[in-house]
Amino acid sequence: MRNGTGNLARQGLTRRTFLQGSAATGVTALAGGSVLAGCGDDEGSTREGTEEYDQAGIDWRAAEGQTINVAVIPATYFGNLLELIPEFEELTGISVNSEEIPPGEIRAEVIRDLSTGAGNYHTHAADPMYYPLYVANGWVDALEPYLDDQDLTNPEWFAHEDIFQMWREATQIDGVTYGIPYDGEVTVQVYRTDLFDEHGLKPAETFDEFRSNAEAMHVPDDRLWGAALRGFPGAGQNMYIYPSLFRAFGGEWFDDGGNPTVNSDAGVAALEYYVSLLNDLAPDGVVNWNWPDIADAFAIGTLGSYIDAHSSAAVLQDEETSVVADSLGFARWPAGPDGRRVTSIWNWSFPINAAVSDDDKRATWLFIQWATSRETQVRTSYAFAGETKRSGVNRESIWDEDEHREAVDAGEGFIDAALTSLQEDTDLDWRPRVPEWPAIGDELAVLIQEALTGQVTPEQAMEQANNQIERILES
Amino acid sequence: MTRPETQLRNVTVGPDQHASTGDPGRRLRARLSATFDRERPFAALMVVPGIVVLALTTTLPLLYLVGTSLFRYDLTAPAGNGFIGFDNYVRLASDERFWDSLRLSAVFTASTVILQVSIGIGLAVLVERMSRGRALVRMAALLPILLAPVVVGLIWRSLMLTPDFGIVNYLSTVLGLGSRNWLGDPSLALGSVVVMHTWQWTPFAYLIFSASLATVPREILEAAEVDGANAWQRFWTIVVPLLRPAIVVVVIFRTVVALSAFDAVYAATGGGPGTATELVDIYIFRVSFQQLSLGYGSALAVAMLVITLAVTLVFLKMRRAAA
Repeated sequence: MRNGTGNLARQGLTRRTFLQGSAATGVTALAGGSVLAGCGDDEGSTREGTEEYDQAGIDWRAAEGQTINVAVIPATYFGNLLELIPEFEELTGISVNSEEIPPGEIRAEVIRDLSTGAGNYHTHAADPMYYPLYVANGWVDALEPYLDDQDLTNPEWFAHEDIFQMWREATQIDGVTYGIPYDGEVTVQVYRTDLFDEHGLKPAETFDEFRSNAEAMHVPDDRLWGAALRGFPGAGQNMYIYPSLFRAFGGEWFDDGGNPTVNSDAGVAALEYYVSLLNDLAPDGVVNWNWPDIADAFAIGTLGSYIDAHSSAAVLQDEETSVVADSLGFARWPAGPDGRRVTSIWNWSFPINAAVSDDDKRATWLFIQWATSRETQVRTSYAFAGETKRSGVNRESIWDEDEHREAVDAGEGFIDAALTSLQEDTDLDWRPRVPEWPAIGDELAVLIQEALTGQVTPEQAMEQANNQIERILES
Repeated sequence: MTRPETQLRNVTVGPDQHASTGDPGRRLRARLSATFDRERPFAALMVVPGIVVLALTTTLPLLYLVGTSLFRYDLTAPAGNGFIGFDNYVRLASDERFWDSLRLSAVFTASTVILQVSIGIGLAVLVERMSRGRALVRMAALLPILLAPVVVGLIWRSLMLTPDFGIVNYLSTVLGLGSRNWLGDPSLALGSVVVMHTWQWTPFAYLIFSASLATVPREILEAAEVDGANAWQRFWTIVVPLLRPAIVVVVIFRTVVALSAFDAVYAATGGGPGTATELVDIYIFRVSFQQLSLGYGSALAVAMLVITLAVTLVFLKMRRAAA
């Protein structure tokens, strides 16, 4: 859901009320050595002091006096981080200017900065799909020199490998690290437990079952549709969902020679499934829907199931706006014909701008290390003093903690579906990882929507898409 | 353009001619004029910062745009970037998607401008005859204009036009027209965004016509009525010709805006379904900022600039011919 455009105001609103209830229990049970802040404090973290950071045994003040600019998107998971920045400034003596740029603009804004070498943003919230582009242009620095520098990083304390493997790999090119994931999400099945009970259904294990479950619940005359998926054209909208289908059906983006192969049988079959599911079992308008439209339709009780980001659950849990808040069920993606499940590996990560000075780069690394460290992840999630606890923390070990589970649990099967998906259903080639992705994603999105509205058949769409990708790669 | 200049000359020449007539007002004006002449260099100096800022913020970027359009400037594959002369324009000439989007923009512009002008005049005439509540209508008319176009796009997409849920869809079902996928059906989508754009901007036309209508002398209309002209004749032979300057202004403004329409349409459909509502500006945005082909995007933008300028010049010519 962080992938979409124009949804932030909504997200802020809906997430504010996220998990009010469970939060109170989560924040009080904290790991040893920390000091509790006063109750009702809604700024910063319930943990205070720098003890946990001191344990890193590095010189946090190695870049004292530097000033860095950080661009993020206006979402609560970054909002929590921004609230803790005074702690970082106190710890390191580095000044941080932060700027919030809507997700629809941040890519173009950052690319303008990177491509001109202006060095305005020392680091930014980066789309993992853009690393091939960044690296092809030399716009960001390899991070190994910082990860391996004993003065700047304590590998045991930072524990880079504790971050979900696929998120780490999504920010690497040819095994070299260019970004550190801060927050991410998985796509999961969301369903109505009351309807499932009524019809005796089980969470779908296969695509056929997902469809037959939807058919069982589908009564459009009573304003209840079986299922929905994002249909709006865009690299972050319908091309956020289709890649999971494509890969689960066994599709490969390119052959060994680097030629596009989206017109393969798997590519066409995946699109046929997408088209027939939405045409037969989703509301008519779904071809123009993005995740908020789907979550809204589900919250007012007009959808039986959908597949989208686990974080969209926040909208459904608010009892004031959701009539289904107490009948939420979650499960992993259904499996494709060969038993393969493919979830989104979407995450926001921080790279280092290659155009800034060495001193600034050290300061930026300290910021990135601080923001993505276990301690700051905890302080911005279940130990955060405000109402909204982040659910997309980057570290597997935090997902294992009861405090985190309690703070984010959204309903039946939620933690299990999200965590198992993160561990088992990820796929590095979920989307084509090439520098030309922005153009490829956009062309595919348009053609997929043309197939969804019946302007072309799935076969024609993928044939045209293949030709377009060839043209893009050649030009 | 020529008339204002002659007027200007008359003003400056005037006082000299009458300087000896002894009229104190004229003498004062003559002195002031002399002062202005003396201080002209200083005045020019005062204007320089404004001109420099204007040149830096408008002229230079425009030249840069034209320059960029002569380069291959693909951020996704920087290895082959460089000067390519007019290749981008050659590619543009055979780019069917560009010509399709241009056709869509032409249809979109013509239909929204015609609708806005005709509904705007109709509203102005009708409201003029209302004995009370005119101020309220005028205020209500302002509301759509005040909304950000992106908000308008989202409102129409989610509240008005969504099949099964939207207000327009409800009305059409009640009227027996059935539920339609207004923005998702390729054959309806363009019409839907035309209606959306017309909804937001007709009030602008209405407000201008309404102000202009207030200056039409009652006496002429009354005289025509006495002479036996019916309502239609009075409207067509008196009101419309008198509103002509206002109509020209509205047509020019609305045409330029419709040609560059982007935000509301993009928010409502993203140019889709497929490319059914991909207006030129949406295509240019896609090429430049989503596909990151800045050189080709610049060439498209230059082409669009030339087209917009040409259309505006034609209108200005027509206006002068009419006057």
